[in-house]
Amino acid sequence: MEFVVFAVFAAISVTAALFMVLQRNAMYSALFLVLNFFCFAVFFILLGAYFLAVVQVAVYAGAIMVLMLFVIMLLNVAYPEPLDKVLGFLRPFGVVTAVVFAVVLAGVGLASKMGDNASILPTIADPSSGAGIMLKGVGAAEAGHVQEVAATLFSRYLFPFEVTSVLLLAAILGASVLVRKRAEHA
Amino acid sequence: MNLPSTVPTEAYLVLSAILFGIGAMGVMLRKSALTMFMSVELMLNAVNLSFVAFARHFGRLDGQIIVFFVMAVAAAEVAVGLAIIVDIFRSRRSVDIDDVNWLRG
Repeated sequence: MEFVVFAVFAAISVTAALFMVLQRNAMYSALFLVLNFFCFAVFFILLGAYFLAVVQVAVYAGAIMVLMLFVIMLLNVAYPEPLDKVLGFLRPFGVVTAVVFAVVLAGVGLASKMGDNASILPTIADPSSGAGIMLKGVGAAEAGHVQEVAATLFSRYLFPFEVTSVLLLAAILGASVLVRKRAEHA
Repeated sequence: MNLPSTVPTEAYLVLSAILFGIGAMGVMLRKSALTMFMSVELMLNAVNLSFVAFARHFGRLDGQIIVFFVMAVAAAEVAVGLAIIVDIFRSRRSVDIDDVNWLRG
């Protein structure tokens, strides 16, 4: 059952990603990207990361894509984009490079199936080697519950969490400074 | 054909690689700065997917926490990036990156 859901949504997300890249209207690209983000939320649920699935929908499909669509409509650039003006002959190389890139990455992921070992991925993390927090007494399906995520975020990752707030403040300031009206420009 | 009960981590890694490749293709092929931006978001999400897959594989939460931070950085990046695009559009009336080949504004 889980595999069927994964296969269906993997097909949807790859199709939506291809449509997003090949669509020449920016508005349709954005809508296909929203579809893709919902597929990612489904994968997160399948992987037991329930909190991240909710954040994915709220932050990505909600906030970030609304901002994106807002800018597309504000600038009125939803018309089909013009073809290359310079270096258009390099276009096929972009496709070839991307395909080779994806094949190599996928090959690394699949390497376990071709080697003699059952899997190149160790199945159980060695507690002595890694610095991560092992989940003791927590089933794999419960690893993404808000309680555990919050406990890790606000203990081990408290400093990065606080640094994130500074980053967001810098982003707000940067965005406001960039889009403000300048006397010499206007 | 007997299907495994849970999806193996490798399947998620392959899917993540394919989506990352499609995103990279978008960055290389598209000429609209906005669509290139969306392709970068797709690449970020593909990497997030492998982080979460590894988090489940190793039974640790660290991967999920990192995805949380990646989302925060992506939100900041979108805010600043779109501001830059709006600024470019103001001075050139276009978001075509072929028109943006000068460093001075």
